[in-house]
Amino acid sequence: MSLLTRISSYSAKPALAGGWGVVTYGELAALADEAARALAGLRLPGPAAVAVVGGHGPAATAWLLALEAAGHFAVPLAGNPAEHPARLAQVNAQWIVTAQGYDWSLLPRIDEASEHPLFAALRDRKAAGLVLFSSGTSGHPKAMVQDFSALLATYAERRPNGLPVLALLGFDHIGGLNTLFGCLAAGAPLVVPDANSPAVVAEAIARHRVAVLPASPTFLNLLLVSGEATAHDLSSLRVITYGTEPMPESLLLRLKTAFPRVRFIQTFGTSETGITRTESPVAGSTFLRFEDPQLEWKVIEDELWLRSRTQIAGYLNASNERFTVDGWFRTGDKVEQGPNGTLRVLGRMGEMINVGGEKLMPAEVESVVLGIPGVADCRVRGEPHPLTGQTVVVDVVALGADQEALRAAIRTACRERLARHKIPTRVTFVPSVSGERMKKMR
Amino acid sequence: MTREQALALVLRRLAALGRELGKPALEQADASTRLFGEAAALDSIGLVTLIADLEEDIRVATGKTVTLADEKAMSRLTSPFRRVDLLAEYVVEVANR
Repeated sequence: MSLLTRISSYSAKPALAGGWGVVTYGELAALADEAARALAGLRLPGPAAVAVVGGHGPAATAWLLALEAAGHFAVPLAGNPAEHPARLAQVNAQWIVTAQGYDWSLLPRIDEASEHPLFAALRDRKAAGLVLFSSGTSGHPKAMVQDFSALLATYAERRPNGLPVLALLGFDHIGGLNTLFGCLAAGAPLVVPDANSPAVVAEAIARHRVAVLPASPTFLNLLLVSGEATAHDLSSLRVITYGTEPMPESLLLRLKTAFPRVRFIQTFGTSETGITRTESPVAGSTFLRFEDPQLEWKVIEDELWLRSRTQIAGYLNASNERFTVDGWFRTGDKVEQGPNGTLRVLGRMGEMINVGGEKLMPAEVESVVLGIPGVADCRVRGEPHPLTGQTVVVDVVALGADQEALRAAIRTACRERLARHKIPTRVTFVPSVSGERMKKMR
Repeated sequence: MTREQALALVLRRLAALGRELGKPALEQADASTRLFGEAAALDSIGLVTLIADLEEDIRVATGKTVTLADEKAMSRLTSPFRRVDLLAEYVVEVANR
């Protein structure tokens, strides 16, 4: 049964709740029909690259579904519009749908259809395409093409459930789309907050009795230190899934204390291979085990390699050197293997800090520093040093005013719990730390 | 900053580091104590920590952000990081720069 058929069958159940009100599954299916008719009216000679600019709203969602059903190449865009023109050009987008709430407009963008072999291969086997962008390491985004039809087919087995889910990850992000399609396949309501601040999100959780919260460790930390977790009634939460960056053990401990009835599930994924479910063999452990028959994994020289049925066909505008000829994707994630097929993500391969030949990952130091009272957030990085090659520096966002006392507390805690070379030689105080602990977009 | 002030600063930091590292000998250090190199009091990470502490002290005392360990300091004929008195003189030089 296709996802659209499933959606129609959920008819009067709430599908998407947000600034536009609540749209039911039946209304969403009708919107997808409307989009399909508009597409047919264009009388396109073949598959076209169509950008959908919006968020997890009814019209934007309906357009994604209609584009897949008609075998086109969908390019969801969100975030800063200043980034959109370069992305539209990279995929030779021929049409742009701008969606807000129930409303949408369709505009032509004058461009030749891309002749890229990745698009041609999809067209030849009559599969729809999905294009997402990864942040890339050089600051220039990489366009990733995948088989949209195959991706949606993986949700076909999802068992129906009515647990409301919160949409926190972006509409242009594999994690955000995974939340959206997983929700639609299960016939559950997806709650879309107006903003991603802890206050707005906590309010939305309380108002819509959200049960499932997929979030990054950075956001969950903010939710706790902002006090919003206790300022709102979050008793409806049953499951918090976390991914996109390593979870510091000290943060997981604080979360479990704050939400004793919530089950914490680690998800794992990359934009290239899709999101996968994992199991935590020991409750409260940051070790995970892949529980996905569609995914194979192995560890080569401490780096995690994945091969999945939903992985991307390739990059439009970058070399595919991270894929091997036999289809393995080198994630760039440094992992540690535990007993019984478990593993733990330590960070990015390139993040490793080398102090006089002794190595460490920022995440292990961040976990200790985050556990110190008075620390709101932190980032650990390596700085060049003429004596030891690199030295460990920690940027700290402090909660209180007494920075000298906090500096001493940080050094004492690190000395008690970390090997000598891992102790930050410098503690700097900053108003905020940018980005996620793990730079890679997941 | 005077030489005496700088010497007191280095010795105070060294003593504190000695307490943190469980090396009581560092609390008895004087101007002639060897810091780095053969038969030295500190290993490389200890020295990096001492230098970072002193940089912070100079910033608090003078309001200036300084770097004590740079390539220029490393390539001097007589390393300022060899002995306590040499380091104190170097601190004076950098702080008054």
